[in-house]
This record gives sequence, structure tokens and C-alpha cells, in this order.
Amino acid sequence: MIIRHLALRQGRRALTSQPIRRWTRFFASQVDTVEASLQTTLGEIRKVEAFVNSRSDHPVSPVDADPSSTPDNDASPEENLSNLGSEITPHYQPHTLLTNPPSPSDITLELLLASGAHLGHNTSLWNPGNAKYIHGIRDGVHILSLETTAAHLRRACKIVTEVARRGGLILFVGTRAGQDRCVVKAAELAGGCHLFDRWTPGSITNGQQILGNCRMKVVDELDREIPDFEEQLLDRSVLKPDLVVCLNPLENYVLLHECGLNNIPTIGIIDTNADPTWVTYPIPANDDSLRCVQVIAGVLGRAGEAGNKMRLEAASQGEVTYQPAQGLKMPAEKKDGEGQASSGSAPVSELGFLQTLM
Amino acid sequence: MGRYDFRPLRVHSAATQLLETQRLRAEPPWYHVVANIPPSQPLVRPILNAAAQSKKGKKPSRMFQPMPIKYPEDQLRREFFSDHPWELARPRVVLEDDGKDGKRWEWSRIEQEGRALDGESVVQRQLYLMKRGGPEGQPMSKEAAYDKARKEFYAHRHQDEVERRVAREEALHVGAYFGKSALEIGMELEDKSYEDWKVWATKEAMAVQIQSQGGSLTTVDDEDAALDSEDPETVAALDEVEKSVPNNKKGQDAKGGAALHP
Repeated sequence: MIIRHLALRQGRRALTSQPIRRWTRFFASQVDTVEASLQTTLGEIRKVEAFVNSRSDHPVSPVDADPSSTPDNDASPEENLSNLGSEITPHYQPHTLLTNPPSPSDITLELLLASGAHLGHNTSLWNPGNAKYIHGIRDGVHILSLETTAAHLRRACKIVTEVARRGGLILFVGTRAGQDRCVVKAAELAGGCHLFDRWTPGSITNGQQILGNCRMKVVDELDREIPDFEEQLLDRSVLKPDLVVCLNPLENYVLLHECGLNNIPTIGIIDTNADPTWVTYPIPANDDSLRCVQVIAGVLGRAGEAGNKMRLEAASQGEVTYQPAQGLKMPAEKKDGEGQASSGSAPVSELGFLQTLM
Repeated sequence: MGRYDFRPLRVHSAATQLLETQRLRAEPPWYHVVANIPPSQPLVRPILNAAAQSKKGKKPSRMFQPMPIKYPEDQLRREFFSDHPWELARPRVVLEDDGKDGKRWEWSRIEQEGRALDGESVVQRQLYLMKRGGPEGQPMSKEAAYDKARKEFYAHRHQDEVERRVAREEALHVGAYFGKSALEIGMELEDKSYEDWKVWATKEAMAVQIQSQGGSLTTVDDEDAALDSEDPETVAALDEVEKSVPNNKKGQDAKGGAALHP
């Protein structure tokens, strides 16, 4: 019975096995078999290639083609690998606020929100005079209304543009740590003065004593310096700014007070704990965030740049957009061309250098 | 002059008066600019809390106070983070790129491209599900939405964990060395301070013992221990002095000393 079962189980396997193949292998060598299988595989792959090329728009290159002639090997490794890896989307780069500040047309609520302009101070620190600018309370902090901020910032931009167009001297002040670079950049763009360390008290009200030794120069309508005015400038009172932009009014009360005494309009960033009556044109925003301050300073600098550009364009077409300085006479004619042109009431403007302010 | 100084706001009218009285010879550059673009009216207190104006039981004095800003997510957020407080301990990026980050996300799935999965994802996903998460875009109940969003979150966290573990194992297999773990470093520090304490405590205990024995410098046990030494030099020295030391516990009597100097 056991033998019968064995025959039933193993007999099937013995029948399905291929004794013929063993016989052929006995006669064939190993090398011949590999060569033949390679040929059959290549033939199959060519068939597949032909099938793919007949169906698809993108033909595949033959598998046994010469590798040196394929286009991918001609390209450099950088070109081959450049489309690999993750894609880097445009993202916030802090330095661009200083190297390439946004212009007034770039003011959007998203920009202000991303720069944190809406964050005020703790509710217990608020100045009720700022109620108009406040949107609500979130986590015990007053949130400024960004619509108000944008509106006031645009208004301030217009003021800066127009004052720059009329040849006014604009002073940018930001005396907190880290504000220096944006203040300098804004002044550079607007062609004004900057202050980033400390306001010397009395520089406006007692300017003759404090800034009396500073150099002053006379320029023509294209901002070229005109020499030989030194004698006339000796007994001239020192320059005062025509517009002051203050990025941290809380620390610069003395400056703002002096501006008020001397009828100089001021623009300032007013946080929820600052007094909005200290400045003429408040910009309700977060003065503690450096990003926000850089955005505002950059925007105002760009506004000044636009005003200067308009002034110089008008000047190049022979139009002067401002009143000439009072009480200056053209020095004795030395150069014939300029002397003739400006012998009468020539448009001589007075744009000064307040050296200590710089 | 009252409490406020309004001179900064009245630069234009002041300049006009000075020009009229000839104290200013020429118009300053800003004169027409400020006239055309006047400053906004300051110190205006708009009604911020309209409810306090009309409703009974609300103080009218609250009328001018700013109101708290509330969003529907607030309650969801509170519940999630009270259930998962350690989610707050994970580092997260709070920097905004351009302020439009919220517009790029679409909460029909919990994973967003370019945004790390965190508790806020669950809150936003739950809010989405509560609006249109049910079959055929029907609103979902708050609890069901929370469960669904939460479980998706767990699944992702679990997968992350497994991936991290496998990556670590692979790295270890090919020869990476990660140094000591935080727990090992902590245990070492703890052991070290315990050993330091043991040294200090032994010293203190010794000092207390010495003090309690009235300042006696050596004990009998110590003496015996010294004499039991196997050191050949000590043995030789002992042999040398053995003759002069009486063979009893008391030892030699003092000769002189107190008797000579009463």
C-alpha cells in the first residue's frame, strides 16, 4: 500500500520532468548557452522597442546603441542633474528689505500683515488716543487695523514725495538698535539726512550753537554744487529740516517737540502705547518689529526717491519746482556760461549738509 | 494749553499766521503739501462696542473700548491642545513669507505642501470637515470631524515615526554613530552628582564622628589597623621599637610632660 502511494505521488513528478533537456545540456558548452540567451533577450527587447515606438510619440533609443552618441552623455553633469531635487519656491529674504525696499505701490495688507505691523502692545499699556486705529483685542494685545495703517502710510508717502519734489530737506530718524541700516537706506533714496544714534537736544531750537560749524553748500536745480558762496553762507542761519520722519517717537520726544516749536511737520510710527499728537502724520504700526520698521522706512525712502526723480526730470526740462533760497546773490562772474544764465533771479536752491545729523 | 500739545497738527495754520505777519519771508517747501494733504483728525474715539450702546445690562462706558477678536477655530484649538499638550512643545515656524500663506492651503486633505504637519493642521482640517466633510459635501458634526481629523493626524505621525526609526536603523547598519542619547547624558550627570554626594557625605559623617568623640584624633581600631600592616618596613620598625613598648593595651606611661610642666 505504501509503495502504491509512493508511485502515485512521485510518478507525476517523474513524468513532468524533462529528461531531454538534460541530454542537450550534456552536449552544449556553457559559453554557447549564454551567448544564445543574450541574443534571444536582445531580440525580445528590440521587439518591445519596436512596439513602443509604433504606439508612443516619444521613441525610445535602442538598448544596444553606442552609448557615446546619446545626447544625455554630451551634457555636463550639472545639466543632467539640475532638474532633480526639490523646488525652492520664492520665500522671504530679510536683506531684500534693505537692498531693494518696497515702493509705495507695493503696500498691501498682506505685506503689512506678514511684517507684523498689526501687533500692538498689551491692552493695559494703550493710549486711548489710538482707539481709532485699533481693530480689536487678541490674547491681551491690541491689534491695529491694517486698513488704517495702509491708508496712513500711503498718505505719508505722498507727503514725502511732494516735499522731495519741492526740494525740501527730509530727515529720517530711527535711534533704536538695528534701525540704522534702514534709516540710512531711506535717507539715501530720498536724498535726505539720517540720524541713528542720538538726537542732540537743541539741534533745531539752538542750532546756531550746535550745528554752527557744519558745512553748507549751494546747488543748482540739477543738484550740482555751485562754488564761491562761502562768504555769503558764513552769517546764514543753520539749516532746519523741512520734514522729519521718526521711526521711534517714544524715544525722540525732544526732537518732535522741537519740530512742533519750529513748525516742522513730522511723520512717525505710532504704536498703541504712543501719543498720536506728538507727530503731524501718524502711521499706526508696530514700532517694535524690525521687519515692519524696515518696510515703512523703505516705502518712505522710495517715495522720496520718486519725488526727487520728478524734481530732476522737471529741472532737466528747464522747470524748477521750488522757490529759490532767499538772500543769495550769484558770486562775481568767473565762468561765462553759468554767470549769464543765472545773473538775475536764478533758481539757486539751498540744500544743506547737516554734518552732525549724518 | 491743555493736556495735549496740538502744535504738530497745526503746522499749516501756524505757518499761515507767520507768513501773514511777515515773520516767515518765504513759504516753506511743505506749505502747499500739508494744505493739500491735511493730517487726519486725531484722538477720535469711534464706537467700537455697539452692543454696549443698545443692550441692557451693558455699561455705556464700555462703548469706546476695543472688542476681543474671536474666530471659530479658537474653541477647536483650545480643545485639541488641551488633549495634546505636548504638541505645543514641538518646534514650529511662525515666520510668514508674504502674508498669503493661508491662501495656498486647501484642507480637503490634512497634509499640505510646504507646511509641516502640526496641531494647527488638525484644527483647520476639522473646521473644513465641519463645513463640508460629510457625504456629498454635507456639514459634519464637530465631534465626528474632530475624530476624523485627529485619526488622520495620528496616522501621519505614526508613519513619520516609523520612517524615522527605519532611517536610523539603516544609518546605524551602514556605520553611522549618533553619540549618546539625551537620556544617557542625563543619567550620567545624575550618577556623577550622586557619586559627588557620596564623597561629600562620607566626609561629613567622618567630621561629625570626630566631633562627637570629643576631638580625639585616632581611634583604637585605626591603631590596630596600622599595626596589622604587612609592609616589611613597618614590620621592621615595629620590631625595632617593640622592646621599649610595654605589651599591654594602655601602652607606655608618659614620662615627664605634665609632671615636668605642672
